[in-house]
Amino acid sequence: MFGLQASSAAASWVVGRMGTDAHLYDDPEDASIPALLDSRFDADRIDALKRLLALIAQGVDVAHLFPQVVKNVAAQSLEVKKLVYLYLLHYAEKRQNEALLSINIFQKDLSDINPLVRAWALRTMAGIRLHVVAPLVLVAVKKCARDPSAYVRKCAAYALCKLFDLLPEESTTLEEIVDVLFSDNSPGVVGAAAVAFKSVCPNCLALISKHFRRLCETLPDIEEWYQITLIEILLRYVIARHGLVKDSVMFASNLSLVAQGGVTVDTMSYTQPTSVGGISGTRPNIMLLRHYIEEHPGCFDREDDKFSSPSVTTSTNDDVAILLKCTSPLLWSQNSGVVLAAASVHWIMAPVEEVKRIVGPILFTLRSSPDAAYVVLGDILVFAKTAPLLFAPYDEDFFICSSDPYQTRALKLEILTTIASESSIPAIFEEFEDYIKDPNRRFVADTVAAIALCAQKLPSISSTCLEGLLSLVFYESSITNSVHLDGEDIVLVQAILSIKAIVKIDAASHEKVIIRLVRRLDKIKQPAARSLIIWIFGEYSSVGNLIPKIIPPVLKYLAWSFAAEVLETKLQILNASAKVIIHSAEEHLEEFKRIMAYITDLAACDLNYDVRDRARFISNLLPCGKTSLNENDSTCQSHSQDIRKELADHIFGGKIPTTSHSDSNYRIYLPGSLSQVVLHAAPGYAPLPKPQSMELIYHTIKLTRDTANSSESNNSNAESESSYESGSVYDSESEGGGLSDKDATGSSQYPNDDGHNLHHRQDNQEAPLVHMYDDNVDQGQTGRNVEDNLSSLISTDLTELMSKSALESWLDEAPALPAVQESMQKSIARVSFTNRSFERKPKLHTLLDPSNTSGLSVIYAFSAEISPISRLLVCIDLFVENNTTDQLTDIIIKSEEASISKDEMDQTSEGSASIPTLAPVEEIRSLAPQQTVKMILQVHFHHHLLPLKLSVLCNGKRHPAKLHPDIAYFVRPLPMDLNAFLCKENQLRGVFEYARR
Amino acid sequence: MLQCVFLLSDSGEVMVEKQMTAHRVDRAICGWFWEYVLAHAAGDPSKVVVSPTHYLFQVYRHGVTFLACTQVEMPPLMAIEILDEMMDNGFPLTTEPNILKEMIAQPNIVSKMLNVVTGKSSAIGNKLPDATASFVHWRTTVVKDASNEAYVSIVEELDACVNREGVLVKCEACGDIVVNSSLPGVPELTLSFANPTIINDVRFHPCVRFRPWESSQILSFVPPDGQFKLMSYRVKKLKTTPIYVKPQLSSDLGNCRVNVMVGIRNDPGKPIDSITVQFQLPPLIASADLTANHGTVDILADQTCLWTIGHIPKDKAPSLSGNLRLEEGLAHLHVFPTFQVKFRIMGVALSGLQIDRLEVKNTPSAPYKGFRAQTQAGRYEVRS
Repeated sequence: MFGLQASSAAASWVVGRMGTDAHLYDDPEDASIPALLDSRFDADRIDALKRLLALIAQGVDVAHLFPQVVKNVAAQSLEVKKLVYLYLLHYAEKRQNEALLSINIFQKDLSDINPLVRAWALRTMAGIRLHVVAPLVLVAVKKCARDPSAYVRKCAAYALCKLFDLLPEESTTLEEIVDVLFSDNSPGVVGAAAVAFKSVCPNCLALISKHFRRLCETLPDIEEWYQITLIEILLRYVIARHGLVKDSVMFASNLSLVAQGGVTVDTMSYTQPTSVGGISGTRPNIMLLRHYIEEHPGCFDREDDKFSSPSVTTSTNDDVAILLKCTSPLLWSQNSGVVLAAASVHWIMAPVEEVKRIVGPILFTLRSSPDAAYVVLGDILVFAKTAPLLFAPYDEDFFICSSDPYQTRALKLEILTTIASESSIPAIFEEFEDYIKDPNRRFVADTVAAIALCAQKLPSISSTCLEGLLSLVFYESSITNSVHLDGEDIVLVQAILSIKAIVKIDAASHEKVIIRLVRRLDKIKQPAARSLIIWIFGEYSSVGNLIPKIIPPVLKYLAWSFAAEVLETKLQILNASAKVIIHSAEEHLEEFKRIMAYITDLAACDLNYDVRDRARFISNLLPCGKTSLNENDSTCQSHSQDIRKELADHIFGGKIPTTSHSDSNYRIYLPGSLSQVVLHAAPGYAPLPKPQSMELIYHTIKLTRDTANSSESNNSNAESESSYESGSVYDSESEGGGLSDKDATGSSQYPNDDGHNLHHRQDNQEAPLVHMYDDNVDQGQTGRNVEDNLSSLISTDLTELMSKSALESWLDEAPALPAVQESMQKSIARVSFTNRSFERKPKLHTLLDPSNTSGLSVIYAFSAEISPISRLLVCIDLFVENNTTDQLTDIIIKSEEASISKDEMDQTSEGSASIPTLAPVEEIRSLAPQQTVKMILQVHFHHHLLPLKLSVLCNGKRHPAKLHPDIAYFVRPLPMDLNAFLCKENQLRGVFEYARR
Repeated sequence: MLQCVFLLSDSGEVMVEKQMTAHRVDRAICGWFWEYVLAHAAGDPSKVVVSPTHYLFQVYRHGVTFLACTQVEMPPLMAIEILDEMMDNGFPLTTEPNILKEMIAQPNIVSKMLNVVTGKSSAIGNKLPDATASFVHWRTTVVKDASNEAYVSIVEELDACVNREGVLVKCEACGDIVVNSSLPGVPELTLSFANPTIINDVRFHPCVRFRPWESSQILSFVPPDGQFKLMSYRVKKLKTTPIYVKPQLSSDLGNCRVNVMVGIRNDPGKPIDSITVQFQLPPLIASADLTANHGTVDILADQTCLWTIGHIPKDKAPSLSGNLRLEEGLAHLHVFPTFQVKFRIMGVALSGLQIDRLEVKNTPSAPYKGFRAQTQAGRYEVRS
C-alpha cells in the first residue's frame, strides 16, 4: 500500500517535471555552457541561458561569460532576447564596459515594430543603470512616453523611476514627462504615472491640480496596485490644497483638545459623543492630527499644544466631495490594500457621520488572508482607540479563532479591550472565559491582563472580574503545584498582577479579595506569585476593617516560612512587615515588633547579601524592632526617631501615583503604512502635508525635493552639488558664489580642518590624482610603529569578531578600543582622491530652513571623523547660519527625548535605549548676520534608522527638527591584515560567492 | 518599493533571488532571517520583521517562504498581497492572471508532451497580449473558440464558533460567486439575486460596475474569459449550523475521558459529506486511546487527532470515545482543545442566497447558462 503510494508520487513527480525547466536547476553545469552559447541553434542558446540564470539564482557568479552572452542580444528570437536581458540586468553594473556594447541593439529595438520588443528594450536599458547611458535613456523615455502602445508608455513611466536615481539633476525634465503621462487616456498608463510621480517628485502636488478631477474619475478603472499609490497622492493633494475637513474625525479629535482647556480628560470623553453625533467617543488624548500631519513650526506651537491656525474646509468642497465619492466604491475592492487605502481617505476626510461606512469593508478584509489580517488589525487598533464606539457593535469580528497566529491574537485582544462597553462586556467576558482554557499559555496570560484592563475601564464589572480571577488563581495554583514546566506559571503570576491592578482602584471595597488571596498563600508555591501576594498584603495591610484582623497570623506565618523562601520573596517579606509596623495600631505593635525582630534576625544571617543589607536597613530605620541598646540619651533618640519615622513613612508608605493607561507615548502613523506596523518612522515615511500649504510647497519644491533625495543613494558629485546649492538658495545675494563664500568662512574659522574631510575647496584643480600621506606628520603625533599597532589590534579585535556571523560583524558595535589604539587609528596612512571627477563632497541636508524659523538656517552633513568620546557615536557637522539682518542669540541644540551622560556613552547595551541619543553640545552665544558657525554633534544612533528629534532654541523660541541618520556612517573600518581579510572574505556568503552544500 | 525578493525552502536555503533595484540586498539577510525565525519566533514569526538593515515581509505557503526586503516606507498590504499573488502566478509582471497566462504559457500536459517530442521548449509568448491594449484590462479583445457557455457557482464557507457552554457565539457564511465564462465577443452580463438584502459585506472583481450595485443590487459586468471570482460576500448572524458536534472532556485521577457526538441538527435537504473532526491533543498527554463507532481515527505526527466520518449513517449517531492518559503527577486537564469541523454540502448555499437570473447581452446567439451551489465548512470551531 505504502509502496504503491510512494511510486505513484514519484511518477507524478516525474510527469510534473517533464517538459519543464526544473532539471536545469538540479545541475546547471552538466553541459558546456560556453559551447552552447556559441551554437547556431536558438534552442541550444536558450538552454545555455537558462542554465546561466539557474546558476545566478543559486548564487554562483557567472559574470565571466558576459561577453559571450552580450553577443546574443542581437538574436532574432524573442526568447533569447528576453533571457539575455535578464542576464544583462544582473551583471551590467559589474561589467560596465561590456554592457555598453549592447546599447546599439537597444536603440535599434526601440524602433521595432513589435511593442513588446520596444518595451523590453526600454526596461532593460533603464535597468542597467549606467551613468553614461542615462542621457540616452532620457531621450528614449521621452519618445516612448508618446508611443502608440499603452504597454510601452507604461514601461516609460517605470523607466522614469529608475532614471531618477541616475539623473536627479534632470528632475524638471522628468516632471514634464510625468505630466504628459498623467494626461494619458489609458488607465494603466495613468496608474504607472502615479508610481513615477511618487518616486520622482512626491511633493510636487501642484502638478496634480489640473489633472485632479480626471484622476479621481479614472481611479476605479486602473489596476489595483496603482490605485493604492494614486489614492495616497490624491489625499495629499487635497490636504495641501484645501486643508482638513471641519467635521471629520481627525479634526474633531483635535478640536476637543483645544476646547478642553482646563476641563479634565474624563469629563471630556463623556461629553464628546453627544457633540459629534454619538458615533465616536473621540478620546482627546489621542491627537490624530498631530501624528498624521507634518510638523511645521508655526502650525503647531509646541509650547502650549494648540493648533493655532486651523486651515479648514468643509466636506461640501468640490474636490473633497469628488475624492470621497470616487474612493467609496473602492471599499468593495477585492484587494485589501485598496480597501485600506480608500478607508484611510474616508477616515481622514469624511464627515463624522459617514465614517461608519468604512467599518464593514475593513472588517471584511480580515477574512482575506491571515497575513493581511495582521496588518489591517494594526490599523483598526488605532481607529478603535480614537473612536471606540465606531467598532463597539462589531465585537464578534474580533473573537479569536484557534487558527490565528499569536501576533493576530494579541492585536485582537487589545482591540476587544478598547471597544468593550457596558453593553458588550458580557459577551466579551464569556469569550475571555473560553480563552483561559486555551493551550497557548502566553495567550492565556494576555487574556488575563486584558480582563484587568476591561475592569479598570468599566468599574461596574470589577467585582465579577475579581471573582473570576480569584478562582483562576486557585485553579492554576493547584495545577502548577503538581507539574513543573517552564513558563507554566506565567498565567498564575499574570492573574495576581491583574487582581493587583483592579484592587488598586478601590482597595477598601475589595478587602475580602485580598484576604482570600492571602489565605491561599500556603498553597501557592511559585516564588513570583508568592512575593506578589506578600506585596499586596503589605501594601493594603491598613485598609478596611477586616484586613487588620488577619495581620498577626499572617505575619507569624511569614516569619515561620521566611527561612525556606527564595531571595525575591524574602525581600518582600521584609518590606511587608516593615509596612505593617508603620501602619499598625498601638495594641498589636509590641507583638509585631517581636515578629519583626525575629525576621530581621533571621535575615541578618542570610546567605544573600541583599537580604542582609535590607534587614540592616530596615532595622535601623525602624529601631522599634530591635531592643534599643542605648537607652540613656533619650532626647537624642526621640529626635532621631522622629526623623526615622518620617523617612520610613516616605519609603514604605509612599503611594504609587495612579498611572492611567496613557496613550501619549503611543506612536501613530498614517493608516496603511509600514511605519504603523513596525511602530517607528521608516525611512521615506512622509506624514501628510501641512493643510493648505500648497503655495508654500510650490515655492520650495526644489528644496524639499532635494532633501527628500538625500536618503536615496550615493550618486555622482552632480547631485551633491545641486543639493548644496538648494541649501543656499535663501542666501539671496550670493546664489552662485555661495559655495566659495561658505568655504572661506568655514576654513578661516577652522584652520585645523585639514581638508581631507570637506573636500569642497576651490584650489584642488592642480592637486595630484591620488594623495597619500601619513597623518602622523599632520597630527604631530609620535605614534609607534604602525605595523606593531596593527598586529596588536588584529589579535585583540578579530578574535572577537570572527565568532560573529558575517552580517553582524560589519554592523555591530565595534568593540571599544583602548586609548593606545585610539591614537593608532589616526596614524594610518590616508589615501585621498583629489581629482575633480572623483571628488566626493559631503552631502548636505537641511535641518531647519530659514523660511520657517525666521531666518535661522541649519544644515548638516555626516562626517567620517571618529568621535573623541566613543567610537559608537556618529559625528555630524552642523552649519548654523544667520540669514537675518539682526543678531541671533542663545542658540541651543538639544535632543527632545534624551541625552546621554558621560558614563553612559560606552555602554553597549542595546536594550536600554533604542532611540537615538545626543551627546551634549555647547550653545552658541550669539550669531552675527550672515555669519556661519560650524558645530559638531555626536549622536549615538544605536544602529537604528530612527530620526533624532532635536529642538533648536533660538531667541527663546523653540523649533522642532528631525535629523535623519545615514546608514553608511554606522559602518566603521575594521583594520586587518591581508590573510585575515582573505579568510574573512571566504566566510562571506554574498550574492556572488556561494559555497554549494 | 520592494528591493528584493527571495524564495526560501523549508530548510532556509535560497531557491530564487530576484533583485529589483540598484541597491542590492545581500543574501546574508536570508541567513539572518532564518536565524531570527529559529531563535525568537519558534516557527511563528511576525509578518513584518525589522532586521538591522531592512524591513522584511514574509509569507509562507506550502513549504516555501517568500521574503521581500525593503528599506523605505511602503504600504505593507501591497507587499503582502503581491507576495500572496505570486503563489499562483509566479512573478507578477502584470498581476492580471489572464494577461500573464498569455505572456508566459503555463505548462500543461499537451505542451509538455509537445516539448518532449519536439525537443523544443518555449514558454514565452512572442506577441504582446491584446489585453494590455484593451480598455477593460481583464479581458482580451478577441476571444476565439468560445463554446458560448456561462456557469455561475456559489461557493460558501461557513464560519462558526461554539463556546464551551455549547452556545453558538458566531455563525456567518462567507461566499464567493465564481463565474466560468466562455463567451465570444464583448458580452454584457447582468446577475441579480432574489434576496440581496441578506448580504452584509461585499467585495468585487474589478470588472463589476459599482453604480448598478449601489442603486439596485444588480451585478453588471463584462466578464474576463475563463474562470474568475466575481464577488465575495458575507452573510452574518446565521441562526443554526447544519450539524452539531458535542465534545465532552472530563478528567479525573490522571485520566481524561473523551466523548464526541456528531449528528445532524438542521437538515439542509441535501446530503452532507466529507465530515471530519480534528483537534490538537493537549500537551502533557502520555498516551491516547480513541475509537469511533463510525469512520476512522488517526493521530497525526503533530499530535493532531483526525476523525474522518464522511457521511452520517441513517441508523446510528457517530461518536468518538476514548481515554487520554495524562502525564505522571497531573490529575486534571487544565487546557482544552478546540475541535475543527469540516463538511461539504453540494447543491445548497446555507446563507440562503439565491440567484434570480443571469442575463447575457451582446452575444451572437443565446448562450448556455448553468448554476450551482456548494457549502463547506470554513473556520468551524467547537471549543470544549
